[in-house]
Amino acid sequence: METVAQVHQFEIIDISGDVGVRAYGSDLESLFIHAASGMYSLITDPELIREEGSIELEVRGSTLEGLMVSWLNELVFQFDANNFIGKRVIIHELSTSDEDPDAAGGFRIRGTLYGEDFDISRHERRLLIKAATYHKLEIVRENASFRADIIFDI
Amino acid sequence: MSIDKLIRIDETKLKVPVEYKKGMLVPGIIYLDKKLEADLEPQAVDQVANVACLPGIVKASIAMPDIHTGYGFTIGGVAAFDLDHGIVSPGGVGYDINCGVRLIRSNLSKQDMLPRLKELVTALYRDVPAGVGSKGRIRLGPDDEKRVLLRGARWAVENGLGVASDLEKTESGGCLEGADPSIISKKAYDRGRSQQGTLGSGNHFLEVQFVDEILDTKAADVLGLFEGQITVMIHTGSRGFGHQVCTDFLEVMERAAGKYGIHLYDRELACAPYKSPEAGDYLSAMKAAANYAWANRQCIMSWTEEVFARVFRASPSGLGMSLVYDVAHNIAKVEDHIVDGRKKRLIVHRKGATRAFPPGHPELPAAYGKLGQPVLIPGDMGRASYVLVGTEKAMDETFGSACHGAGRIMSRHQAIRKAKGRAIWREMEDKGIIVMASGRETLAEEMSEAYKDVSNVVDVVHRAGIAVKVARLRPLGVVKG
Repeated sequence: METVAQVHQFEIIDISGDVGVRAYGSDLESLFIHAASGMYSLITDPELIREEGSIELEVRGSTLEGLMVSWLNELVFQFDANNFIGKRVIIHELSTSDEDPDAAGGFRIRGTLYGEDFDISRHERRLLIKAATYHKLEIVRENASFRADIIFDI
Repeated sequence: MSIDKLIRIDETKLKVPVEYKKGMLVPGIIYLDKKLEADLEPQAVDQVANVACLPGIVKASIAMPDIHTGYGFTIGGVAAFDLDHGIVSPGGVGYDINCGVRLIRSNLSKQDMLPRLKELVTALYRDVPAGVGSKGRIRLGPDDEKRVLLRGARWAVENGLGVASDLEKTESGGCLEGADPSIISKKAYDRGRSQQGTLGSGNHFLEVQFVDEILDTKAADVLGLFEGQITVMIHTGSRGFGHQVCTDFLEVMERAAGKYGIHLYDRELACAPYKSPEAGDYLSAMKAAANYAWANRQCIMSWTEEVFARVFRASPSGLGMSLVYDVAHNIAKVEDHIVDGRKKRLIVHRKGATRAFPPGHPELPAAYGKLGQPVLIPGDMGRASYVLVGTEKAMDETFGSACHGAGRIMSRHQAIRKAKGRAIWREMEDKGIIVMASGRETLAEEMSEAYKDVSNVVDVVHRAGIAVKVARLRPLGVVKG
């Protein structure tokens, strides 16, 4: 099953002095996608990004929180090392060790990131995100949906 | 226990008693006067207390007057640990390993500068890569990147960016021995490849300043500073490379803390015993990142001098340009300190705190042997920065450390909201300061109101006697990311 990103499923929050994202999702897949969209909106204006290329992603974490931090840090890495800014992400698979014997000791995501090379002549330069942190990190289930708070080091 | 249970020791120090939190092995000491106490965040006090619970902590969990809430450890924190029973924590160093400050002097006066200021700042903004998505001037091949990690600022000087005397005036000679390139992840190498010689973003800057007031004439003479003189301050660190090292090792250390049975009050406090292989690996990687940062500040200094030479049509040495000092404020180091009357080797973590060694310390450059170590304290872009020197009292009380900056009072988000509809660059221009930044939001989050007044912070340090004031510098031109 594939879950496709919807926009505006997050808000920018302010916890104890830093910039963060509060993402919502009806399931874990959409939660992770919306967290990614929120982070990209801090870096640039997502409207101006084109889908010209794609990158395959595979990320692991020993807990759900750890997976969220690793997931966002993978996107930070793709931007910081490869200058690749994402517009849209598809999650092909989000699994835990219980379901997936390959995901040794925890959670795993496989996905595809669509976007392009960041170009300062076309893209808005907002904040340089250097890392997603565990600071005040929270992933909670509220009724039938999920909410995650993530603070970034900038 | 709540924040009103703090005990005032004297006019510059507050004590966080061991009763504040169960598990505290030592008290917390926060250098703060009554004026700055009003801005003290309860969460930052909790963080001071959390650090006091870490195994092997010696004497006290210390915080400087620029204290504010960080990740795990506070910003403005100093914590020293016993080598036999103590720990090493990446969170006690920070994400930006060897973030630091470098001050360059010149023989130019403010009068010489003013007619050329705009031209100079524009050229600096063009020649020194800064901001989101900026491309570095250097692209390191794998062997070159390893040499940067092993040689630090020496690598830059060997490649024609700077002179040998720059290294003498850099903390640790601009290079920590014991960096191990084989421990560094591929991701860190990839992030570091094209970020050498880049300023970055956020609170990092390159600033053209003038000496507004000399506060200690004798010390200023030794440092080559005089009233009305043009100086340049560079504030940056190890860029994406250092961040990746920290990110990589937070995971390693979290597993290690579990393995060695260390209870963590916060995941960002992840740590391992000093003598464990995990801590050894982190320190080797941290040294590599520290060296990356020293090379970075050395490259940027060299390009700054080139721009000055072009604009003023004279060589950098003809303009009297030379390094006053370069100091790290995010680092962990093994140092000797006197504890309970006995010399002890400790691992000292400084996160947003500057080393402030006294006169006569063996690690000082010969030129500053009788003076003490220069302590460089940048303020916000609209007010002032300070030069101080370290003291014996800092060795007695703070493991030879002082503050590192002004410290935020407004969150980044708050500042951005407050700046909506305002042209911060114009407000600065009205004050006679030219600012160039790649991003509007960077300027907003960095506006003066977002910070404590650095003069108040430095006053506490000076009155406490852990560093003494030498000169106040004021900004004329600022380049930001």
